[in-house]
Amino acid sequence: MTTAEALRDAIAAGRVSERLWLYANYHCNLRCVYCLTDSAPEVPRRILPVPQMVQAAEEARALGFLALGVTGGEPFLIPRMPEVLAELAGRLPVLVLSNATLFTAKLLERMRPLAGLPVTVQISLDSAEPDVNDEFRSPRNFAKVVEAIPKLVDIGIPVRIATTGDHNTAEQMERLCALHRSLGVGDDDHVVRPIVARGRAASNGMGVVAQAKDLHPELTLTADGAFWSPFAPTVRDGRPDTDLLVTRRRLPLEDPTRALLALAHANPAGTDTTLNIR
Amino acid sequence: MSRVELLESDQAPLLARPYYGADGSASPITRALAQVPELLEVAMPLLSRALGEGAIDLRTKEIVILRVSARSGCRYCVDTHTVAAWDAGLSAQETAALCDGELDGDERERALVAWCDTFAAAPAPVSDEVTSALREHFTDAEIVELAVTSGVTLMLNRLCTSLELPTSPGTRARLEETRK
Repeated sequence: MTTAEALRDAIAAGRVSERLWLYANYHCNLRCVYCLTDSAPEVPRRILPVPQMVQAAEEARALGFLALGVTGGEPFLIPRMPEVLAELAGRLPVLVLSNATLFTAKLLERMRPLAGLPVTVQISLDSAEPDVNDEFRSPRNFAKVVEAIPKLVDIGIPVRIATTGDHNTAEQMERLCALHRSLGVGDDDHVVRPIVARGRAASNGMGVVAQAKDLHPELTLTADGAFWSPFAPTVRDGRPDTDLLVTRRRLPLEDPTRALLALAHANPAGTDTTLNIR
Repeated sequence: MSRVELLESDQAPLLARPYYGADGSASPITRALAQVPELLEVAMPLLSRALGEGAIDLRTKEIVILRVSARSGCRYCVDTHTVAAWDAGLSAQETAALCDGELDGDERERALVAWCDTFAAAPAPVSDEVTSALREHFTDAEIVELAVTSGVTLMLNRLCTSLELPTSPGTRARLEETRK
């Protein structure tokens, strides 16, 4: 059986994700308290070179992956990120994760060509209460996010909201949902997930412990190698974790894909769903 | 102090985990190679096959490994395979002789040691005389196995020396106990 055939079967059976994740970088203009990658402005950038991102997308399409994810760090700190997203979207649909604090009028203008392309921006918003949200993320984050979301929606770019943590009561969650609806984001585009006890979250004593068996296998490429999931290439107190490393070699993509499939085959089916952190 | 981080079991990559013991222990070579799990995955079966008992008995293998390691000046491999040689039946006098002098063995082992000395002196060619003496006691297949064992040993000598891998605590304890 070829790697492409094995991947197709594994995706169909739900044993591995259809999405290939790319960590564009590790640096960020924010310093969120639960950040998996210990990201901040001054950390090593560990940038995944754009030509490798494009090559990975090309090979992902050929192998049978069905979607791409781009995360960081803050991906929009990478110069030309809107243009890079357009290149990637020419291969596969893209979900790009962002803190939405960098969408100036100039950047939004460069985002405009992405309207109509299969690109969705996923933005973090943890509470309808500005103080609560900003305590997790950074001062004035809430104001910037609620300003950016409608502007992206207005230019025709789909937006998803990601809420991290279980701190919201039912009433608070209802207010948060009312808020995202008012910003133009429907309920189907709101995901809520727990804080994972890795990276800065672990340093701060936050989150649920997640091992390989608890995480859905989603091949993830970073400057350091190929990892088990986007929750895997974490950094704790400045030190990159290797416990969920699959291979150091990223390309050709078939190499880490084959290794991930072999590991996923040995993973008990269904255990990753218990923590609901897909 | 190792020149690279030797990964503890809690940081062992997924492909490397089978090479760590149930108690989390692993040799310094394993813990270094775990940094590149796809290399570890292919290297460990090769090391096991090349250095372990094969068509050639373990005593002969350990003579080769210890002599080549001593000649190439690898402290880690000399320490590790001094103890391994004892476990394969060599005496403390024999391992000391392999490290610092001439083995007082039979004609077969003397020919083997002479061949190891030439092998470790690469890139100098192995002379007809040394090869002929070896062929008196070993078949072609056995000579190939000896060459693979010696070659893998040299590779490990360079790896362990360049990375300054520390001798395992268990090995160090055995060496100190014997020296008392």
